[in-house]
Amino acid sequence: MTDRSPWTLTRRELLGATASALVIPLLTPRLLAALSPFTVSARFFTPAEFALVDELSEMIIPTDAQSPGARAARVAGEIDRRLSETVETEWQSRWRMGLQSVDALCRELSGKRFMQATADERLAVLTQMAAGEADPKTPAQKFFGELKGATAQAYYTSKIGIHVDQQYKGNVYQQGEYAGFAAT
Amino acid sequence: MTLVLTPPPESPEVDLATTYDAIVVGSGAAGGMAAHVLTAKGLKVLLLEAGKKLPIEKELRSMQWPYDHPRRGDAPPGSHALSFNEYTVRQRPYAANSAYKHVYSYVGGWGGADYVKNILVDEKENPYTGSPYAWVRARALGGKTNIWGRLALRLSDFDFKAKSHDGYGDDWPIAYSDIEPYYDRVDRYLGISGHKENLPHLPDSLFQRPTKLNVGEVTLRQKLAPMGRVLTPYRAGVTTDGLKHNKYRSKCYGRGACNRRAGGCDIHAAFDSPTGLIYPAMDTGNLTLRTNSTAREVLVDRKTGKARGVAFVDSVTHKTYEATAKVVVLAASTLESARLLLLSTSPQHPNGIGNTSGHVGHNFCEHVMGPGVTGLMKDLVGKPHTIEDGRPGGFYIPRFRNLADKQNGFIRGYGFEGNSGQSMFPWHTDRPGFGAQYKKEVRDHAGAFINIGAFGEVLPRYESAVSIDPDVKDAWGIPALRFQYQFSDNEKKMGEDMVTSAREMFDAAGIEIIGVDRELLTEGWSIHELGTSRMGDDPKTSVLNQFQQSHDVKNLFVVDGSSHVSASCQNPTWTIMALAWRSCDYLADELRKGAL
Repeated sequence: MTDRSPWTLTRRELLGATASALVIPLLTPRLLAALSPFTVSARFFTPAEFALVDELSEMIIPTDAQSPGARAARVAGEIDRRLSETVETEWQSRWRMGLQSVDALCRELSGKRFMQATADERLAVLTQMAAGEADPKTPAQKFFGELKGATAQAYYTSKIGIHVDQQYKGNVYQQGEYAGFAAT
Repeated sequence: MTLVLTPPPESPEVDLATTYDAIVVGSGAAGGMAAHVLTAKGLKVLLLEAGKKLPIEKELRSMQWPYDHPRRGDAPPGSHALSFNEYTVRQRPYAANSAYKHVYSYVGGWGGADYVKNILVDEKENPYTGSPYAWVRARALGGKTNIWGRLALRLSDFDFKAKSHDGYGDDWPIAYSDIEPYYDRVDRYLGISGHKENLPHLPDSLFQRPTKLNVGEVTLRQKLAPMGRVLTPYRAGVTTDGLKHNKYRSKCYGRGACNRRAGGCDIHAAFDSPTGLIYPAMDTGNLTLRTNSTAREVLVDRKTGKARGVAFVDSVTHKTYEATAKVVVLAASTLESARLLLLSTSPQHPNGIGNTSGHVGHNFCEHVMGPGVTGLMKDLVGKPHTIEDGRPGGFYIPRFRNLADKQNGFIRGYGFEGNSGQSMFPWHTDRPGFGAQYKKEVRDHAGAFINIGAFGEVLPRYESAVSIDPDVKDAWGIPALRFQYQFSDNEKKMGEDMVTSAREMFDAAGIEIIGVDRELLTEGWSIHELGTSRMGDDPKTSVLNQFQQSHDVKNLFVVDGSSHVSASCQNPTWTIMALAWRSCDYLADELRKGAL
């Protein structure tokens, strides 16, 4: 059922990833980067909003030497899934307004919409949003916590997040002794 | 690896024309134990459970990866788990006027609501009123044991004789020596993992193989020793070596599954009442099980005033039936058993059966939790990830207050549950910033955090009480429970000390404190409800005698947490089962003698 969702990696793409964490070292960032682009059919976000969330999430958790980032982990798709299924319209509008506040801030700083801005201009926007993390004041700053929280939740529950980035070793049947040290 | 589990046995057909030897109401820890002990003694027992019999392994799916779940573990759209804020702010009943189709307790929000949605009750069908209270109820065969936290501790005479120690409340009508042999039996029959510490206030069990500690926990253990405090591996109600006498349960394979989501173990290494107690009881041929059966009244013989059976509603058809027995054993949970007693009014028992004392529903107590600290062990930052989260629990720091010492401002004590190290979802993804640096920090710090949170004893007070709401009824037309209960000054003072002592321990161990929780969580959050039908030697001030037998009605027993005289700060499940075993031994003997 889930394999039909366009933002889910197909079985072929992540061969073996679900079967066992042991095969994951084969799944290098280079290999993942070589995967064909995927199509998007968001249910809550408009195509423009989806592209914005996709870009913002990748800036929060980017691809690095260890692992692919939020884009490869289909984070925007998972956020869209949650928002499309909720009955909390207030939460949905927080996201709509929040994304608008990102564009508004970008216009203020560079005169462009976020997706039309350069990489440096985008970074300046996100930096200003994150500057108020401990005590958010502006609408864009208030949205940052929501955006980052949802990005982290979606990323670290994904195949890439759990196996490639975290190199998570558990959720297996241990034979013999438990790992760790005896209390003496 | 796939384990092949033995399927559950079939129950004989229910025969409501038969007079059973005993009817047991509720199939959790207490009811399962009553069924086990009584059927082993040859009694014919009818076990009534309000909830469904679930294909529990399919519900729990312990090893399922989050990304293999269509909603990453979320419950279906239209379901909602109550949050802390809602418990304190919303009017009761909590689910009234909710836009959601189904509303569950906060436990359903623990990163996997979809796995427990059929185990927990829907608040919409099961309302309650009065003061704020987070009442977690599981209606399914096995009750809350399907998802319990597994910390299995003994009480000591510091608990049973607490009044003698500090003058508050009442002593229990038993001493540790009375219950010790039954703790031993529970240990052997169900399996428990732990490490011997020889503490007078936290007696050791007959332990199977202990779980291990990680580097940070070993350090903390060593630094606490000079302070006279102990960090011991989690005492888990989990069989780590296996049980030759039980074909329904596997030994623990250290999958760590029980620490994720709301709990539960689909290979039943963690104790649950169905595989640990009820299926073996069915194998005796003496147990008849009827699920979807919500007890609504204990029936009374109009001539003798004794219990003659139980009236129950079929949860699906809403039809009412009567079952009769020589003895009625209530094990519906502390609060549901009190509700049932209070609902069972008759000319002989106008205030509810067994309530001549007027104490049913009173002296309600539990554990207070919330305060604690989170720390960072700098030496562990950037270390490779390990498999160390594959264990059925972290660690426990037993009570150290008001034992030999006397604290200012509060009596009784608290213990800490703790956890640290790796987990499937990394700790503290709320670290500041974003980008490559943030991502690396989350990765490097993932296994370097340690957290402890306290569970403290709430004093029983007569005015802490539940009663029957005159207006509100549940989906089956049964009047709802009304709470009149809130933490007292002793709990608040204790909460402040929890923070102080937690900080002190982390400071001593050189652990950098990065988070401090000071708030007491809403009443009910510990899911350790106790009291409401306390035991005692004086029928004027207690409901039950030391064998959990009603002072008023000889053939009525209440074998769950209702009977506890005080809450202790130790988790109650193992004590509930040891007491139920002791009482059911007595019950069977008395029945044989014709004394009931």
